[in-house]
Amino acid sequence: MMGRTIFIDPGRCIGCQACVSACRECDSHRGTSMIHLDYTDEGHSVASLPTVCMHCEDPVAPCAEVCPADAILVTADGVVQQADTTRCIGCSNCVNACPFGVPKIDLQAKLQMKCNLCYDRTAYGLAPMCATVCPTGALFYGTVEELQAERPGVQVADTFVFGETEVRTGVAMVVPAERVQWPVPGGLPVVEINGKDVRR
Amino acid sequence: MTEPSEATAAAEPDAPDGPSATSPSATGPRSVTTRATLVGVAVSALLILAIVLGSRMLRNFDSALLPYAVATVFLAFGVAYRYTVWISAPGARRLFKQGWRSLFSYENFRQAPTALPRMIATYLGFQKFLGARSHARWAAHQLIFWGCVLAALITFPLTWGWFTFTSGSGSGPGYEMRIWGFKILGFDSLNILGWLMFHGLDIAAVLVIPGASYFLWRRMKDRGAATGQRFAYDLVPLIALIVISVTGLLLTFSSIFLHGGGYQFLAILHMVSVVFTLIYLPFGKFFHIVQRPAAVGMQLFKYTGRKDDEVFACRRCEEPIDTGPYVENLRGTMRDLRLDFDSWAAYCPRCKRVLRGSAYLSHVKKGFK
Repeated sequence: MMGRTIFIDPGRCIGCQACVSACRECDSHRGTSMIHLDYTDEGHSVASLPTVCMHCEDPVAPCAEVCPADAILVTADGVVQQADTTRCIGCSNCVNACPFGVPKIDLQAKLQMKCNLCYDRTAYGLAPMCATVCPTGALFYGTVEELQAERPGVQVADTFVFGETEVRTGVAMVVPAERVQWPVPGGLPVVEINGKDVRR
Repeated sequence: MTEPSEATAAAEPDAPDGPSATSPSATGPRSVTTRATLVGVAVSALLILAIVLGSRMLRNFDSALLPYAVATVFLAFGVAYRYTVWISAPGARRLFKQGWRSLFSYENFRQAPTALPRMIATYLGFQKFLGARSHARWAAHQLIFWGCVLAALITFPLTWGWFTFTSGSGSGPGYEMRIWGFKILGFDSLNILGWLMFHGLDIAAVLVIPGASYFLWRRMKDRGAATGQRFAYDLVPLIALIVISVTGLLLTFSSIFLHGGGYQFLAILHMVSVVFTLIYLPFGKFFHIVQRPAAVGMQLFKYTGRKDDEVFACRRCEEPIDTGPYVENLRGTMRDLRLDFDSWAAYCPRCKRVLRGSAYLSHVKKGFK
């Protein structure tokens, strides 16, 4: 962590879906959007959460580690690429192992697809499509210094916790200053399912 | 063209310090290398033995084809070595075992005896999944695939001295085709069958050239294909196929229209391109030829694991995830790799995102609401 990357601030997301539409225009996966926009408390809150690939650094790319066909490569700049079309056998291991729920699978085409940080753009220093169009800055592309220059006092976190396991990522989230020393909860352990407390 | 700097494979089997090496249940990198080397040597030795025996103690061996035969021995070593390393990684190892277990399971024999041949035809022969990606790519790949299959069926046995064409009259036109010294069929070299027999490789070249050219054109023009492509990995295989096919056709052109002019030079050029490709095969894009059958094993495992059409459902939203045995297999792979959040595999991707969003909402940035 952390060169030029995406910083996600769910507090700024208004759920406009501009990122979803723009992602579809990316040349490396034209026609298919790789970004997910979820409403975390649908019916009760307008809060929404955009999810791009977090480009896990430690452990490095769990999706690639569980891939039985060695189809997912990580480039030296830390970008976890989408599956090599030649190798991918469409087994869904990556889809179900990803702690962030990012990869998609086309079962007919036997092909995994995921956000590749718009590699056709970021390799040339351009911002990814989603960050380019986001009207509220919920998705910001740049260095942490550039982010803090625009938003004085803002803090970011790049570590998430799933149960006992911490995952450090290449993409970071904006967090309140008092939370910066703690890893961001990843949702595991699950405390409630459909309104029922499942901790016991 | 976007060329990523040195690609490091997170799960690259060649990487001795890859993630599989950290697995407590995985074999150490040194022992994997040793085992892969031993398997490679054993397979190469078996091939040499098969060449010697199949060519009737080298009596039928064509010494002019020696470089090709040597290249196939290196090919056998490379494929066996890379294959062994590949299936030593946790993800591949588990799937490899489950695929074979499914194949020989009672369930498979009893309930789906035709599943395997059907899957082999669908995935490996007609590659239906490629049609779902793009009809043009499917057509081009079919041309390359059947061209290469035809070429391999002709050239490998020829270079090993397994096939021989003999003529009782010395110069034809009646020929006998023999395999391992046994007569298979007799034919007249001047009729259609004879023409097809002697021009099989030309036909293969005519199939491969348009297919490989299409993919080469696509790699130049399609920005999706060009994203992250690497010259050695993505372009060299296509160039190699085209060079082999064109030089092969030029040999025929030389013998028919130039009375053999330039034949020797072309023969060497053709041989160099073939030998290079055979040696490159295990370590580049062509290795997918060896890997692709894993898709059949995977599919068979899922097929036999789906009892009464029941699937494992997401614990939160109850959307189907996959078959129960498959999810359990994945969780085992994750534990092998010390990815200790394997219980997360019981939730669908959307629920994982929503639960993470809820946790952020309630524990990180409450004003987010």
